[in-house]
Amino acid sequence: MKKRKMFLRMISASLMRRRSRMAVALLSIAIGATILSGLVSIYYDVPRQMGAQFRNYGANMILTGTSGSFTADDLAKACTEIPEKELVGAAPYRYDNVRIRNIPVVAAGTDMEQAQKTSPYWMVEGRWPSADGEILIGKAAAESFRFREGDMIEVDYTPETAKQGEETVTDNTLYFTVTGILSTGGSEENYVYMSMTDLEKLTGTGSRIDVAELSVSASSDLLSGYSDNISAKVGAVSARLVKRVTASEATVLTKLQGLVLLVTIVVLALTMICVATTMTAVVTERRKEIGLRKAIGASDKSIISEFMGESMLLGLMGGVLGAVLGYVFASQVSRNVFSSELSFRPLLVPVTIIVSMFITGLSSLMPIRSATDVDPALVLKGE
Amino acid sequence: MFFKMIKGMLFRQWKKMLMIAFTIALGASLASAMLSVLYDVGDKVNQELKTYGANITVMPKANSVLGDLYEIEGGETPGAFLNEDEVMKIKTIFWQFNIVDFAPFIDTEVTAPDGTSVTAVGSWFDHHIKMPTGEELDAGVSSMRSWWEIKEGEWLSEASPGSENSAMAGAAAAEKLGLSAGSVLHIKGPAAEKDITIVGVFDSGSEEDDRIYLPLDTVQELADLDGKVSTIEVSALTTPDNELAEKAAKDPGSLSLAQYEKWYCTAYASSICYQIQEVIKDSVASPVRQVADSEGAILEKTQLLMVLITILSLIGAALGICNLVTASVMERSQEIGLMKAIGAQNLSISGLVLTEIFITAIFGGIAGFFAGFGFARIIGHTVFGSAITMRPAVIPIVAVLVVLVTLIGSIPAIRMLLRLRPTEVLHGR
Repeated sequence: MKKRKMFLRMISASLMRRRSRMAVALLSIAIGATILSGLVSIYYDVPRQMGAQFRNYGANMILTGTSGSFTADDLAKACTEIPEKELVGAAPYRYDNVRIRNIPVVAAGTDMEQAQKTSPYWMVEGRWPSADGEILIGKAAAESFRFREGDMIEVDYTPETAKQGEETVTDNTLYFTVTGILSTGGSEENYVYMSMTDLEKLTGTGSRIDVAELSVSASSDLLSGYSDNISAKVGAVSARLVKRVTASEATVLTKLQGLVLLVTIVVLALTMICVATTMTAVVTERRKEIGLRKAIGASDKSIISEFMGESMLLGLMGGVLGAVLGYVFASQVSRNVFSSELSFRPLLVPVTIIVSMFITGLSSLMPIRSATDVDPALVLKGE
Repeated sequence: MFFKMIKGMLFRQWKKMLMIAFTIALGASLASAMLSVLYDVGDKVNQELKTYGANITVMPKANSVLGDLYEIEGGETPGAFLNEDEVMKIKTIFWQFNIVDFAPFIDTEVTAPDGTSVTAVGSWFDHHIKMPTGEELDAGVSSMRSWWEIKEGEWLSEASPGSENSAMAGAAAAEKLGLSAGSVLHIKGPAAEKDITIVGVFDSGSEEDDRIYLPLDTVQELADLDGKVSTIEVSALTTPDNELAEKAAKDPGSLSLAQYEKWYCTAYASSICYQIQEVIKDSVASPVRQVADSEGAILEKTQLLMVLITILSLIGAALGICNLVTASVMERSQEIGLMKAIGAQNLSISGLVLTEIFITAIFGGIAGFFAGFGFARIIGHTVFGSAITMRPAVIPIVAVLVVLVTLIGSIPAIRMLLRLRPTEVLHGR
């Protein structure tokens, strides 16, 4: 009991007395620990955060009806197969041939809010339709009709039942306000987009979905699992992955994660060596003290345990400091780069502390050993 | 005497100096590795993002508006095609080295003996291009459709014998026509008939599965459209759009001369499109927003991430060096106290210490620079499979950093030297 008290007193006294030097050592350990915990949290968060960025490429899963009766209920059922957190958006599409100024045009009915989520790359000049009676026009279509934002247009639809040999055909007609012009660089530029309810009103038919686009933020293995599940459980639907998006995302994401991993390893290795050299320097300068203790009769074991206790304490403090600072750094990075919050990993705190204690202990063990091995007379003489 | 002392110090205390040099080398290698990676990461990631395929499509002017809007079949309207001879001109624009891949496409309807019709697409597969500039390039669908999963057989190679009568079939088309790798199909186009061998069946997860892909010349012969192509897909390395690029994309005429020059000489998707339109007659080049937009976003994020990691590691390296320099000077307080006791000036002692440290720093810095460059190369090879180029710009940055950091690191040490009282130190307190 008494011995332990003395031990603690010697350690704390040594830390207090040699404040400036110990501050130097503590600072370097804390930096090492900060880099460790900061970079490792970033490394673990990169796939999730980058995955979200990759959702810019749009839908990576397509649902189509199997027997022709794909409804909004089926889509909702299919969406429950995917964890809510991973589902970025699910936009239903329905296509019908309508006429504008008697020229046939493909009209798509969709859920505008979801479409914005599944196709973030669509550029709308003006604004997205937000209410019924508003329409979004593809750039190519707008050019050929010379429509501009704010125009009132008339859209006609010839009901299928009327086509059967009747002489006088009564068209369904609705009026729309053009709210925006859509450019994508793809075939979407030839279509016009309106809300699902408008298209149902125009065609006079019930709810029907031709295709649903899903944007899911998950790894490719999980994705194929989801698509199999949906195809199996929701009878009216068959799910397919958009290979172009999923395959490419997997390639690029692996490379990016590999990059961060390698950078992390290199930075960590170098930082740890830096910490070790600092600790070695700090201990080496106390060779004289070690010699003196030996000369007045301290055993090697007690000297080693005392010095090690000291550096372990430093390692502990540096590790705690570093774990906190590292988390602060990583969450700053996450906020600035990805503008989202970092997920806290509790396991990283003990790991950081243990690693920094291990490294400080190991790097001070060697100089202590070499100091205790030498004859105290030689050390004290300064050779 | 000054130099003699320094020499003596360096030789006698070489162990200690080696340690300082080693730490500085570590810091310098960290700095140079991270900076080299940082400079190159944009290009490398950009290359990787090319797996998403073309980011620019070129279409005939007449076609882009008429298109399927008026449902004109076959495209007999004049000007609805681009000339195959002009395709190569894409590689002559101002940003020619940013064009990494391109392929022309033409399609026609063909019928199988049993009467089923299928869309036949003609394109390049691994077309070998030799530019007058000496640049060589394999362009075509085999690199622009890297996500195609080959279910049977293999990719069509244009160099192999009999390739002009070969084709690749999409999974859905293969099922409809009962094809598998190696089977022979007699197809009848609008102008000619041909026996073709299926060399591969692919799954693309899109409507391309319903088509068969043949070499460009074969489809031109089938449809009697010699030397004509309907679209060109271009994969280009681009800079993320900014306000200027968006303004220019709407109307290049609205820019002032200086803005125009800046826009024209930056690899924005819109300026590359503009330049392609300049060289290809009656064409409309437009960026594929799905690819072009996302590329910009991902590139930006990756670069920002790397910048922040670099800053963190540079701070770490700098503080590590500072620490060690301070510790090593403090250690020598007795020696310095003795010098002071026998009458040395503060100035000359500081000069002595600084010179020692700088000589060590120079050696450490040079060694560290090369080591760091080695690290960067390792990263480049393992992650991207290509070397990271050595940027001369990294050298001065690292040099300035090392000098600055050692200088700052010596400040607390020098301050301590100035405050040092010889009697106290020599007394051993």
